[in-house]
Amino acid sequence: MAGDKIHIDVLTLDSVQCAACGYMMESIAALPDDVQEMIEYKEWSIKNKEGIGKFLELKGKVLPTICIERDLVFPSIIPQYEELIDEMAKRAPNEAMSKRIQSLRDKGFQFDKIQENLKKAGAGLKTRADS
Amino acid sequence: MAKQLLIDAIRGKKTPSPPWVPYAGVHCAFLIGEPADKMLKDPELLAKGVTFAAKRYHADGIPLVFDLSVEANSVGCDLKWWPDNVPSVTNHPLSDKSVAEAGLKLPTKESGRWPILFEAARLAKPQLEQMDCALMGLFCGPLTLASHLAGVRIFTDVYKNKEKAHDVLKFAGQVGARAAQLYAEMGADIIAIVDPVASQIKDATFKEFVHPYCQDAIKVINDAGLTSSFFICGDATKVLESVAQVGTHGFAIDEQLNLNFVRDIAIKHKVGFGGNLKLTLALSLGLLSPREDAIVSLAAGGTTGYCFAPG
Repeated sequence: MAGDKIHIDVLTLDSVQCAACGYMMESIAALPDDVQEMIEYKEWSIKNKEGIGKFLELKGKVLPTICIERDLVFPSIIPQYEELIDEMAKRAPNEAMSKRIQSLRDKGFQFDKIQENLKKAGAGLKTRADS
Repeated sequence: MAKQLLIDAIRGKKTPSPPWVPYAGVHCAFLIGEPADKMLKDPELLAKGVTFAAKRYHADGIPLVFDLSVEANSVGCDLKWWPDNVPSVTNHPLSDKSVAEAGLKLPTKESGRWPILFEAARLAKPQLEQMDCALMGLFCGPLTLASHLAGVRIFTDVYKNKEKAHDVLKFAGQVGARAAQLYAEMGADIIAIVDPVASQIKDATFKEFVHPYCQDAIKVINDAGLTSSFFICGDATKVLESVAQVGTHGFAIDEQLNLNFVRDIAIKHKVGFGGNLKLTLALSLGLLSPREDAIVSLAAGGTTGYCFAPG
């Protein structure tokens, strides 16, 4: 159920064209499988109207920015793994999930499913004004 | 068009008017009606696109490519190609290995896509010379290349595993110096280190991991008697003083910075600066009038060390 997930929005220019945006996206896509089960995330490129709408809705200030549960948590700072875990745990929908995420603090990034995870998040797929 | 005007501006000198550089990149492909991936793989199309864009936009200088995957690809990263964008890097050979363990070697002019760039430069350079337009060689800066090589973990390693981070960054700096040498050999007039992710770190991290690993490349550019710049993207406010002191003749920023703030830092450090016609808000989305946005940039930039360019 969507309510049982931690929601992450990544505000970008375009994760293909902009390396900073790309590695913001990768910081989420490279989270290990156990974390992936607990999160839902999406790239919002401001090259299209939907992305501009999300930028305004979340009151974005700079690009790229990682928002967790609608908070602007990492504006123009690509996070360390542990920082991401801590910020997600703070915003988990329940205590059990918060503890479960915290228990994965030493696990580290996982690189074998990045492309698959980026595709699920729509990374690079909506980066045209008409998309 | 005026190549010397651009060189003077990047070197922080006063110019009669601000020179102009369109970072056309894969927009060159759009201009000649070709997909970006096809143009980037074909030296004749690349030369055609670059020279067409230079002429169309009356450029004082133009990059051969604006593609930060070239260096990574030439040392072993795979690419995903896009018809309307630059290629993206899809694997990170140093995500779980050191440079020695992965056996990575410095690129030569035969590595990866460098032969395509050499041939495109050979075709484009005389045409650009006729237009009095500088050929610019842009290569991937150390932190962005380290990200390509090691993945997003590099942003954790710079704090938690410094030995690993220095190993990757040192190699990235050596690759950058080699790229600068290759651009010098193909006749570039201006060579720029492009390190967009360097805005996404703390200033102390920039000083420890970016500044030192730019120095070999800057020496190559200086020794060749060419002009150097450092391009950074995003909200680079926290590192901008360090950018101005990295050792290049000038630097360039993107639309997220206030050009008055940028100008004052550049003048303080006696270096050139470039920007910041709003790529997204004006040129891409049309939410601002590009004409009025250009006037704002030109007014803020002035005529001391300023190069008008998209940001």
